[in-house]
Amino acid sequence: MKKIKLIDVVKWTFLIVMLIFYMLPIYYAVVSSFKSINEIYSYPPTLFPKKPTLQGYVEAIRGQDLLTYLKNTLFVAVVATALTVITTVMAGYGLAKGEFFGRIFLNRLVVLTLFVSAQVIMVPLFVIIRRLGLINNLWGLILPAVYTPTATFTAIQYMKEIPNELLESAKIDGANEWQIFWRIVWPLSKPLVAALTIFSFTWRWNDFVLPLLVVNRRSLYTLQLALAVIQGEYGGIPWNTILAFSTLTIIPTLVIFLLFQRFFMRGIMAGGLKY
Amino acid sequence: MIRKLVRSRFLFVVPSLIFLAIFVLFPIIDIFRMSFYQWDLLTPPMFVGFENFRMMLDDKWFWNSILVSLKLLVVSVPLTFFVPLGLALALYKETTSSKILRALFYWPYMMPAIAGTTMWKWILSYDLGILNYIMKTLGFKPVAWLLKPTPALVAVSLVRLWGLTGLLMMMFITGLQNISSEYYEAAMIDGANKWQIFWHVTFPLLKNTNVLVLTTSIAHLFRDFAVIYALTGGGPGYSTMVTPLYIYNSAFTQFRIGYAYAMSVVFLLISLMITVFSIRAREAR
Repeated sequence: MKKIKLIDVVKWTFLIVMLIFYMLPIYYAVVSSFKSINEIYSYPPTLFPKKPTLQGYVEAIRGQDLLTYLKNTLFVAVVATALTVITTVMAGYGLAKGEFFGRIFLNRLVVLTLFVSAQVIMVPLFVIIRRLGLINNLWGLILPAVYTPTATFTAIQYMKEIPNELLESAKIDGANEWQIFWRIVWPLSKPLVAALTIFSFTWRWNDFVLPLLVVNRRSLYTLQLALAVIQGEYGGIPWNTILAFSTLTIIPTLVIFLLFQRFFMRGIMAGGLKY
Repeated sequence: MIRKLVRSRFLFVVPSLIFLAIFVLFPIIDIFRMSFYQWDLLTPPMFVGFENFRMMLDDKWFWNSILVSLKLLVVSVPLTFFVPLGLALALYKETTSSKILRALFYWPYMMPAIAGTTMWKWILSYDLGILNYIMKTLGFKPVAWLLKPTPALVAVSLVRLWGLTGLLMMMFITGLQNISSEYYEAAMIDGANKWQIFWHVTFPLLKNTNVLVLTTSIAHLFRDFAVIYALTGGGPGYSTMVTPLYIYNSAFTQFRIGYAYAMSVVFLLISLMITVFSIRAREAR
């Protein structure tokens, strides 16, 4: 028999304790979302629903306009992601390979903006969005999110790796700058485009600060804003509905995560901040 | 002229630059300008000189909000350092089991902060929460997690840890995988045990990663908004009222916009200090 090493015992004990800590909230929330109102408010709590029911889900979808919030969230996430990806890949290319005055300054500026989050400039951001007439408008959630410091920084780093010789030889062959970008740079940037798309979509899907600032009309709520607001409402929404709502909003992030795990778990975005 | 702009590739930067100017640079400049005004959004702003800043000096809840961040710093930053480090040490090898476990620990980081925090609220509920039930079963007294100041700070730290671990663990794993095995072999030949290898070989070699993890954790701490908004709303009382939340309340529930601007100046300067510190620390490798 193989000797059990002390270090392995310590390691696995630690991992199991941690696994319980990290998975218990998710497990218990998902399980509770299938409980009936009676069961969810009964004591002692059960680790598995006695009679699983979709009551919470029905209430979340019908009673809470979840589909409207979903539509809003998807619109914002898809449009903002498209704009972010195109402008960011172009900017990354320009900032990494450009030959204009102030390029180095702009590169430094991008690094500085990495640390300016929406939370820091919340008030002026609200004021400018208001001045642009975008309060209670879904574009007010899209346009301020197009420039994303982390994404831009990543794009610059990526573009620096593209060999200059490639661009030079295309130029000698008579290609103009526009053609060089679309025929050479863009195809070479596929991994970057993929990563930016996945991350940008997730950021917008998860976003809370901007919707909180910009939207106060119910018909324009995003999922996360709605989830936060219904919890604070007088009278109280039953917990099985709230948890069903939460569960539904984490499913897409799980799907994205499982499909594109390698993008998250390693490589070009590993050093990023959450925006 | 246009030809030159095209050739210099400046035009590629323009779209991004416009968004950057409107939604990042303008707000930053606006913070400094409007901090000298009194404004309620309805009537025109009124210039009041340094009045907002004078008010801020006397506002004990503003200073309390910075103190809260510092308290969280003391509890949260060590947690968000050692737990991800522990997980990374246990999981940095490329085996199937460690890949699956990594994904599980990473998942909370991917989730919307509001949804994750909502799940925690359910766990932490005083009378219905499973955590208090478990504690009672084990013979402990139930804790009013979100209703008492110190437990609320602990709860916020735990939820932060839960949400941030994935990112920080991956930073450590990348760092650990970048250490050449020659170092370990050399240490082993010298007869070092695992503990000695960790303290004298691994940990010093992780210096860059350590700095990266610490600065990331601190930067996140000062920008945390959603977790605290959803978990405690800053309460009970002002015990978890961090600066961004206090600024938000002043601006959007009391409509003291000018005052909120003035506080944003201080908050921006704090963020800037952290930025400069982080960049220095990262460049000093």
